[in-house]
Amino acid sequence: MERIKVLIVDDSRVSCAMLAGMMAKTNFEVCGMASNAADAVLKYQTLRPMAVTMDMNLPDVDGIECSRRIREIDPDARIVMISAMKDAGLIQRGREVGITSFLQKPVSPYELIDALSCMVSDDVKKNSGIRDLYIQSFAKVLRQSLFSLVGVHSEVETKRAETSFLDIASGIAVIIGLTGSPMGRAIVYMDQDTMYGMARAILMKNDDAPMTSEEAGDVIEEAANIIVGRCASVVNDLKDVDMRISPPGTIVGKNIRIANFKITSYFLEAQTRFGSVYMNVGFAEGE
Amino acid sequence: MDAKLVNPFIDALVAVMPQMGFDVPKRTKMSVKNQTCKSLGVSIIVGFTKGLRGNVVYNMSADAAKFVASKMMMGMPVAELDEMAQSALSEMSNMLTANAATNLAAMGYTVDISTPSLTVGQDFQIKISSENYLVVDMDLGGQIMELNIAVQV
Repeated sequence: MERIKVLIVDDSRVSCAMLAGMMAKTNFEVCGMASNAADAVLKYQTLRPMAVTMDMNLPDVDGIECSRRIREIDPDARIVMISAMKDAGLIQRGREVGITSFLQKPVSPYELIDALSCMVSDDVKKNSGIRDLYIQSFAKVLRQSLFSLVGVHSEVETKRAETSFLDIASGIAVIIGLTGSPMGRAIVYMDQDTMYGMARAILMKNDDAPMTSEEAGDVIEEAANIIVGRCASVVNDLKDVDMRISPPGTIVGKNIRIANFKITSYFLEAQTRFGSVYMNVGFAEGE
Repeated sequence: MDAKLVNPFIDALVAVMPQMGFDVPKRTKMSVKNQTCKSLGVSIIVGFTKGLRGNVVYNMSADAAKFVASKMMMGMPVAELDEMAQSALSEMSNMLTANAATNLAAMGYTVDISTPSLTVGQDFQIKISSENYLVVDMDLGGQIMELNIAVQV
């Protein structure tokens, strides 16, 4: 795998070490570190990194001015801003100088690698590698959401779908459209027992509490809406895109087959104590 | 929801279907529902967002679906709803909704549409809204296509 050179600009040695540590196990390689803007511009010129991580607070000028100077030398410079504060004003100023990616401290290894990977891909829409990354983010969101909704730990497995359809013997499927870029749809689905188990847990009811299938369906629909909404937010954070979600369409029944054509889709399976919660995410091909 | 919002969808059908060799579709029924929609056998759901958020479901019987698919594939006989026929139906719903989106834009609502999801089964229900939504039956030369349109306000 090709190593991708990254320049770290940060006046804190601890932050530099943390960022370098996160990249150590990936195909990103720290080619240099700069502790002030003047040094950063100089190192950018000599090292020509593929990407730059930029701290907001530098001793000479701020990270935005430093980014502006770097992009003066190289208008295609890819810079991810890492700051303690991430507010609309900062993002606005950052965008004006051409920064498209913003992260807030403390940065998780995951966010950092995602942001860098998204940036170094020239065309996010055509790059299936980036879509794989989206899916990894979705898997993480699914795991976290299940934990915050029902307090269960789950293992999420992902794999690329081989077929253009999914079959549900008996249960519920919540279809949520993804619009903007990339366009597609997400389907959260599970069998009936899992639906009841999860719905009771979300409403904090006993395992034997009475519940109609309509009530249970409504709870799962809202849960799916929350999960997919969070997934879209993550994608929007990673890359400066505007992915939106449509209201859910919920299908309940037996022996259902849902098919999508001209999309590349992925299966995610979260194993919980209620049963498996599945998510199928597909993006339109050839956009 | 506002009943005038069905017009862009009806107009789309009237504009697009004849281009694929159908007679001009006629509206035969229109009603307001607030119950879960029962699938007629084949249901294609397309979501939309931005200026308006909602879903449209193209709902039809297996026979109607075969009729539509056959017509779309230049009259090729469609004995069963195989992957090719399903793909044709998905494509149709995509074209119809994209056309409806253009019509909505002319009314001042910019919308983005999702990819279509086609669902087949003997017995299933679809919920696209917890509020009222509009149902329009369109006659496509003897076969009925039911449009279910839900828009969030």
